[in-house]
Formats: sequence, structure tokens, C-alpha cells
Amino acid sequence: MVLEKVLTAGIGEVDLCDIAVYRSRGGYVQWRRAVTELTPAAVVVAALKSGLRGRGGAGFPTGRKWEFLPEDGRPRYLVCNCDEAEPGTFKDHELLEMTPHQVLEGMLIGAYAIRSHHAFIYIRGEFKRGYEIFMRALEEARELGFVGQRLFGTDYSLEVTVHRGAGAYICGEETALLNSLEGKRGEPRLKPPFPAVRGLYGQPTVVNNVETLGYLPHILERGAEWFASVGTPKSTGYKVLSVSGHVQRPGNYEIPLGLPMRTIIDEIAGGLRPGRKFMAVQPGGGSSACLFEEHLDLGYDYESLAAAGTMLGSGAMVVFDDTTDFVKAAHSLVRFFAHESCGQCTPCREGGHWLEMTLERILHGEGLASDIDMLLALSAQMTGINLCPLGDSIEPFLASVLKRFEPQFRAYLRKPQVAFAR
Amino acid sequence: MPDQKTVSLTIDGVVVTVPDGTLLVEAAKRIQRDIPVYCYHEKLGPAGLCRICLVEIEKMSKLQIACNTLVTEGMVVRTLSDRALDGRRAVLEFLLANHPLDCPICDKGGECDLQDYAVAYGSGSSRLVEPKGRKPKAIDLGPTIVLDDERCIVCQRCSRFDDLITREQSLVVKERGERDVIATATDAPYVSNFSGNVTELCPVGALTSKTYRFKSRPWDLQRTATTCTQCSVGCALNVDVRHEAILRTMSDPEDPVSDGWLCDRGRYNIAYLDDERRLTSPLLRDGENWTQIGWDDAITLWAKVLRTHPPSAHGVIGGGRLLNEEAYLLSFVFRALGTRNIDWRTGRQFETTAGSFEGTLADLERAQLILVLGVPPSQTAPILDLRIRKAVGRFGARLISVGPLAAGSFVPQTRVRSVTEIPPAAFDVRRIAVVYDGISRDLLAEANAMLRPLQAHGTQIFGFVAGEQANARGAEVLGLLPRDGGLDTRGIFSAAVGGGVISTLACFGADPLLRHPDRILVERALQSFDFTVVSELFLTPTAQRAHLVLPARSAFEKTGSTTNLAGTLREVRAATAAPVGTLSDGEMLVALAAALGIEIPSDPEISRRVREMIGVPLRGGEELSFSGRAPTPREGFELVVAEHPFAGGGTSLHDARVSILRPHPQVGIAPASAQAAGVADGDIVDLTSGDRFLRDLRVRVDEDVAEGLVVVTAGLPQAPANALPATGRVLLKNIRSVREVVASGGVR
Repeated sequence: MVLEKVLTAGIGEVDLCDIAVYRSRGGYVQWRRAVTELTPAAVVVAALKSGLRGRGGAGFPTGRKWEFLPEDGRPRYLVCNCDEAEPGTFKDHELLEMTPHQVLEGMLIGAYAIRSHHAFIYIRGEFKRGYEIFMRALEEARELGFVGQRLFGTDYSLEVTVHRGAGAYICGEETALLNSLEGKRGEPRLKPPFPAVRGLYGQPTVVNNVETLGYLPHILERGAEWFASVGTPKSTGYKVLSVSGHVQRPGNYEIPLGLPMRTIIDEIAGGLRPGRKFMAVQPGGGSSACLFEEHLDLGYDYESLAAAGTMLGSGAMVVFDDTTDFVKAAHSLVRFFAHESCGQCTPCREGGHWLEMTLERILHGEGLASDIDMLLALSAQMTGINLCPLGDSIEPFLASVLKRFEPQFRAYLRKPQVAFAR
Repeated sequence: MPDQKTVSLTIDGVVVTVPDGTLLVEAAKRIQRDIPVYCYHEKLGPAGLCRICLVEIEKMSKLQIACNTLVTEGMVVRTLSDRALDGRRAVLEFLLANHPLDCPICDKGGECDLQDYAVAYGSGSSRLVEPKGRKPKAIDLGPTIVLDDERCIVCQRCSRFDDLITREQSLVVKERGERDVIATATDAPYVSNFSGNVTELCPVGALTSKTYRFKSRPWDLQRTATTCTQCSVGCALNVDVRHEAILRTMSDPEDPVSDGWLCDRGRYNIAYLDDERRLTSPLLRDGENWTQIGWDDAITLWAKVLRTHPPSAHGVIGGGRLLNEEAYLLSFVFRALGTRNIDWRTGRQFETTAGSFEGTLADLERAQLILVLGVPPSQTAPILDLRIRKAVGRFGARLISVGPLAAGSFVPQTRVRSVTEIPPAAFDVRRIAVVYDGISRDLLAEANAMLRPLQAHGTQIFGFVAGEQANARGAEVLGLLPRDGGLDTRGIFSAAVGGGVISTLACFGADPLLRHPDRILVERALQSFDFTVVSELFLTPTAQRAHLVLPARSAFEKTGSTTNLAGTLREVRAATAAPVGTLSDGEMLVALAAALGIEIPSDPEISRRVREMIGVPLRGGEELSFSGRAPTPREGFELVVAEHPFAGGGTSLHDARVSILRPHPQVGIAPASAQAAGVADGDIVDLTSGDRFLRDLRVRVDEDVAEGLVVVTAGLPQAPANALPATGRVLLKNIRSVREVVASGGVR
């Protein structure tokens, strides 16, 4: 199946890290056009019309997020969230390393749209190579006058600051990211106030994902109508999907939203290994609930997945075949979230650790019959009452596989001791 | 002022109307509805961490936290619905999962929010099968506080207090997830003038005071509301007593003076009451020895001395330990006798008002520019300093410290040596506060010259004197001042030395040998008096040179009132019984008046007169005479005398439990000056000025000290700064490294 590539166009074919190559393919043309020909409001309108939604996980309409900024004369900041760490997600990693100029151009256009004069990019600590590539790209762009003071002969100036994280999953949450960027402990902030009102250094701030920003030059180039015509009415445009797990060709694939999941798994990702049976798919990163055989004809878009009780999230699809031990899989994910909990709010700090310990005990053959109900009850009671989404991320996968594959969990439980054997 | 917009909402079926912008948790208090909280605190604001305050709000799908929800018109809230209670039960189950449940041995038991809410809303049993998590226990967090990380529920009240209120930012959360712990950022000891407040803020038994651990159960304590008399702020103090012993002191959250906080001196300096060195019998000098005598003999002897000398031969010094009523009586009795040589000014502080400027602590909080003149309140009146931090840190005021010492307030400050160095634009505000040490009269004169014209043009100016004596203001108003041609403190001592015009001295709650700017003069005077009587709790340096020492009572053991630096009368109530054999200063004066045949007003009449006199505005900027100055030589370093909350020769010296907080004799010097003088950090030096000297001070190289200065701390009996001339220049002599000192067998 041949798909049109937008963000991923040219990857693996030409060296997009070279600014000359990037420019030869139309790079920075839209940036120049935005500053010299378009008003910021026109860029916002384009984003609104395109129907572009945040590609980091929440799926919030990008143009509307920009519109939340109060008109009070304070400085505004755009922050590009490149702290990709959602289990199963590896798209921003590739975009940063392979298309650094596209990421930068998207950031510049986004910053212009909100009339910011200072944009930041927060790069996950482990992305050392991506960081170095981006720094080189930034220097090249600065030398050509695409970043800095009085751009393209106008009065508009824009500086870019690059910040490296230190590898905490929680810093991908936008307010924890802002705290970390300010040099504070990476803990989510209490909302309200939201970043649009009080964000980085207390100023109005927009945090956008790498992929979201990356689509901006294309939307300006080809028109909002073009983007809106792709996908479904509520899930427009393209999405870079990270497919992994038990498929023959795992990797990043750019798809038009709304494509049936069966097509994605069987045709794009090469299908399951020969002789293996499909068991489940986690469609939207480690925080999402699993879908099963009966869901595979659903379109891969925000509304269909939400209607099925899960989410598109960051677009990380993990496929499980019949070799999967779902107790071990659940334990692995729960351990991840418990380990990454910042610990500031009670349900996440205590609940995650508790669930991890219980699953560990079950794996060691010490599970009690009551543990099955307790896992469901505990994970449910820690959900929906947390300060940030991390604490709500444990329950979906655990509950969905526990309900579907309960016999696998029961098989691990402590065998009843037979009194007076023989 | 326009009417504030209000909104009406329904909480559990009750309609409540509150100002727009009210938090739901506060609105619920209006109808006495208890929404449990741990991390939320009125003075710290919402944090959204503990999640115990979950409530159900109509039209919202999830439970909401009441602490960070603003009320809206028509909001319908259910705090006790099944869903809300399920949410609470869930949070409590999580909070208790790794909590040690060691209530039977926990100091907080009986006043613990975790215990109370677990009983009220918890499930009574836990589903946890795994062993509870283990964390460090009984951690020595600093000189005053012990931390139990297992009990901690990480509500961050302590670290937020240390960030938002004190601005010191030393307490932080370390580690992550279920491993997180409270610690200092650098792992250095938690040292703060306000550390004790975290034990009151802590909703569980994680943070406890070293002075109170394992001492009592809250239900066994009897509480007396009184006023702290350790400094001139006069904070409301709740004193908790068991078996006639004061076990702890607590703040009053509603007190407008203290803003609900206490400093560590006020909170912890209580063990002196039971110190074995406490005087419990009048002592009469017998050559080098003391003889215990009875009260009748003591008063008779004193009265006889007073009668056998002319009234003009008596000198009276009444210090800041006296209550208002006692200060009034002291003045009344001696003036009835015909004596006019009466002064409260024992030490360096010589006035209790900043020119004609007055103000309350609430005014200070609202000031946009704060000038700290001379010795900063961080060294003399910590709770006033905390208000400065609030004004600057929270409300954006500008702080300028004028003089050689830095403000020490942990908020941004501008440092200048003279008011004239302040850029004129800084004064372009509507409200200015002047915090004056009562010592640096030149700085006040400069400030007056600058501020009086501004006041005439409508700028509000508030004045405060954060001096070294607690009830200085009451003493001054109530008559302990030589206004009618009598001699002041220096005059009394000088007259005693030079020809013996003054031949008897009565010292009440004053230690001039340690505190008066001229120690040599006091020393010579004390040798010259025919008769010196000192009323004291302990054998202070001055008392040791007296002829008759009278054992006094502390402010915890007597009832009356004190006057704070804002001129407010504050009630003092006896919280515990005094040791047998002691009398309050007031009781001594009543007995003395009887022996002298002086008729004194009744107690209610004294109380009435005191209230009347405290209510009258002070003298309003009238020049007060005070013979304080000595000529200044040119060589060497300029001597600057600083204060310290725990300096002094009385209550803190005789309190073993706060001894670790007392400052060591040291001399602060700028890095460049230290290099010029050839001293290094940690060296031991003597300071000399002419034939006067101060021995064995440890050098502290300090970037906060201006070049050309050396800073020493007043009020240390082992190194009394007043042994040097008050304002002279000093030389660093006899410089030794610590190694040399040890090798030669220690300091002298």
C-alpha cells in the first residue's frame, strides 16, 4: 500500500539535515512567507481551518489552544515538547534526527502565530544525537537569518533556546516540562491556572508537540483545505504512527487518519509472524486501553478510538500476538508508571507502587484469589482523582487485559494447598 | 470602595453566599462544613497534592478538589455524597498504605489530621498484603527538628512554608514516586529562625520539635493564651503546660501581630524556667560569697539603704523584661521617693519610635518601600522580619538596608551605607515603611530629612523600632525615662565613678554590664556604688557584681500586660507556677513601697492607668537626649555591633535545650579586608582599641560584610562586644590559626 508522505517525505532518501537540501525542497519558504506576507492571525486561522489536533497525546485542536492566550501585553512563549517518552512512541525521535529543519520551521511558524519572540524546545535527555543534529540545524538557520533579530527585514524578532531534559517521563507533561525548563523539580503544576495564562516564567505559554508543529509549514504551503480534506471530519490530516510489538515490519508510518486498524497492522506493518494469532492491540501508547479482534475494522482516528473506550494518544500502536504473557506485560507497564510517578499526589504515588507490588507477587506465584478483584478495584479507585494524567495512565491497559485475559492471571495464583495429601 | 461581587452556591443543600474568587474549601467553612485537607493551608494556598478534599460538583464528570476550585454562581456541591466519600476513602487507603500506624508512640497522636480523618472517613482496614515501605526514621534534620519519613504524607506544607513564607528554600522533596522524602537541598542541617513552624504545619507526626518529642499527649496539656516577651514584636503565644511544667509553646493562627507564626527564640527558649541555676532565694553579698536571706530581710535592708541615702543618690535602671504594670510601679515608687534618675535604656537602643512615624505590622506588609536602618530585624525581631519577607516576596515591595549590616531577609535587597545614596525614584511610591534599630540615630535623621517632606505631600510613612529590648516602649511610656532633669543610664554610671553623686543602683530586668555600650564604665561604676540591687532570674554578669540579688519571676509566671513595638497593649497571663522563693518584680515593688511607707494605687487602678498611658500617642519625634558617643580614632577597622536572636546573658544562656542555637563569638570581615589584615576564615584573633580588647574571636570571612568593617555580635557573656568602644575603630591582633591555638592548649 502506497501512502502519501508529508512529514516523513524524503527520510531515507536525502539528507534533510543539510539546510541546502531542505531548502531545495521548499524549506523555510513558508517561514519567510509567514513573516513577510501573513499576519499572525492568518496563521491561526489556517491552523483552525485545517482541523489540526495536538499530536502529543491529548489531541486538542491546535488553533484553539493558541486562541486561549490572553491579550494582556505580557510576553508569550512557545515551547516545543520533544520529551517523547510514552511507551511505544518513537516518532518525534525520528523527526528530530531526520528532519531537524522541519521541526525548527514548525516551531518558528507556531511562535509567530502566537506573536512570541522566544521559542523553546525541550529535548528528552536521551536524545543526544537528535540534540546535536538540532543544534547544528539551528546554527545553520541562524546564519541564514531565519532565526534572530529583525527577520527578513521586518520588525519581527524571534530567538530559540534549546533545553535538554534529564530523562524523566513526567517532564513530557506540559506543566512539569515548564517547571523543569525553569530549573525546578519536574512536577506537574496545579491547574488552573493553565499555561496559556501562567506558563513559562509565569507568562502566557503554548506547549506544542514536535509533530504538531511540523505540519504547520505544509498547511501553509498546501492550504488548510488540503489538510482538512484528508482523514475524517473530526480527525483531519496525517499522523505519524509508531507501530511495534508482534508485527513483521515495526516502524514509523505516516498515515491519513481514519485508516482501519486492520489495514495498518496487516498491510502497512507487514502483519503478524506466520502462524501467530492476534490477541490485542494497544492503539495509543502505554496509557491507552487495549482493543481486540472485534475492534480491528475501526478507523484509526480520535473519535472512533474514543468511542471504543480507548484513545489515539501519541499514536503508538503495540500489537500483541498469542505468545504474549499479559501478566508480565501488565507488570512491565505498571512498573514503568510507578517508577515514573513524581510522587507529589497521593493516588499515583501510593496506588502505582501498590499495584506493582501486587503484580510482582502474582508473578512469583504468591497471588491470592482476591487479588484479581483488588487489582481492578485499586486501579479504578486511583483513576480520575489525580493532579495530572500520569496517575490515570495505569488503569486502562491493566483493566482491559485483566478483564479479557483473566485466566492468564488466574493461572499464576497460588495453588490451593491440599490438606492431608495422599 | 465598591461592593465586592458575591456568588451564591449550594453546599450539601445549604445556600451560601461568598465573595467572588473564594475557594470552595473556604466557602464550606462558612457553613461549618468540614472538608478534610492535608496539603491545603490558608496561608500556603492550594497545592492539589493530597487529593483528600474531593467533592462532587453537579455538571462535572469527575470528583473535584475543593482546595483549588473557585466558587461559581449556582454551583451545586455535595461533600458527603457516596461518590465523594468513596473518593475520600480511596485517598485515605492510599495514604495509610505505607504509613507506619505507630500512633501509640507518635507525638502527634490526639491532634493528628491523618488519625482524625482516618477515623471519620477511612475504611477501618487495609487491603495491603505486602510489607509496608521502609524509610529513614528519626532523622536529625537540624538543631531543632526531627523528621520521620515513614510518617510523612508528602503534603509539602513544610517545604512550601520554607519557600513561600520564609523564602529560605532549604527544605525540598528529594527522590521520586513512593521513595520521595523531605530533606534540605544540600543535605546541610535545616537551620532557620522559623523552623518550629513546620512542626505545627505538619498534619501528621513527621516533623517534631526536639524539645517536645515524647514529652506528652495533647489531651494532657493545659493551654494558656499569653504574649511572647522575648522581643518587641509581642506575638500571641499558646503555652501548653503539664504538671506545672511548660512543655511547648504554639502559635495563634488568628493573631494579627504574628500573622500566625512564631520564631524559634519565642517558641523554644522555655527550658530556662526549670534550669537549676535559677535563683530561688534573695542573695546577699558577703565578701566573695553569697548568703541566702529571707524576703523580709532583703526588703527591709533595701528600704533602709534607700532611706539612708538622699533621693538624688539613687539610680534606677528598668529593662525590657518588666511588664507594663511593673514598669509603672517602678517609676511610681522611686518618683514617690524623690528619685529622678530613672532610665530603661540599658544597652545601645535609646528610643522606641522612628521619629514621628508609627504603624502596625499590617501596615508594614502593605508598604511598597521598606528601609531597614542599622541593625536589621532579622537579628532582633524575627517575626517582623518575616513580614518584610512577605511584603517583598509576595507583594513586590522594595527592600533597602541602610548601614553596614545586610538585612538577612532572604529576599532581594539593595544595600546602601546612607539614606542619601538611595536613588530618588525609589521614593516614588505611596507607602513607605522605616524599620529602625533605635540605635543608629544618624541614619534616622537622614531618613527623617528625606521622608518628612514626602509625608507632607501625602505619602504614607510607617515607622517601627525593632530594638533589643522587649518592652522598651511600655517602659518609656510608663515613666522609666529621665524626662525631668534626672540622669540617664550613662549619666548614672558616670556620676557613680566621678565623685560618687550616685551611690545606689537598682537594676530590674537589665544587664548593663553585658548590654551597655561602655562596659569599662559600667564595671568601674559597679565597683563604686555603695549598694547595688539586681532583680534577676539568674546570676547574670551584672547580678554577679551586685550587693543584693532578688530572684524574679519570668513572664510565664506572672500576669499583666506588655507593649509591643507598634504601641499595642498585649495581655500576659501566668501559664505556670513560679518556683518557690521567687517574687515578680511587681510584688517586690509592692513590698518595698510598704516598707518605705509609700502608698500605691490598687491593682485595678494601676491597670487602668497603664491602659490610659499606652493609648496616648508617643512624643512624636521630640529629640531624646542620650549620652552615647565616644570619639572615633582613624586606624584599623570600623567596629559594627550586630545582634542575634539567641544572644544574651539571661534566658537563652540558661536554657540547655537551645544552647546549640546560640552564636559563637566571631568576627565577620570582608574577603579583601581579611586579606589586608592577614587573617583567614577560622583564625582566632583579638580585637583591640586603645587599652580595650575583646579576646579569642573566630574569624568569619563573609562577603555580606562591607570592606573596612568588622562585625561582632552583642550580648555574648564570653565575649562581650561592649568591652570595646561603641563606635570606635579596632585592630586585629594576636592572629592565630586554630592549629596554633590547639597546640598552645586552647584559648585563654
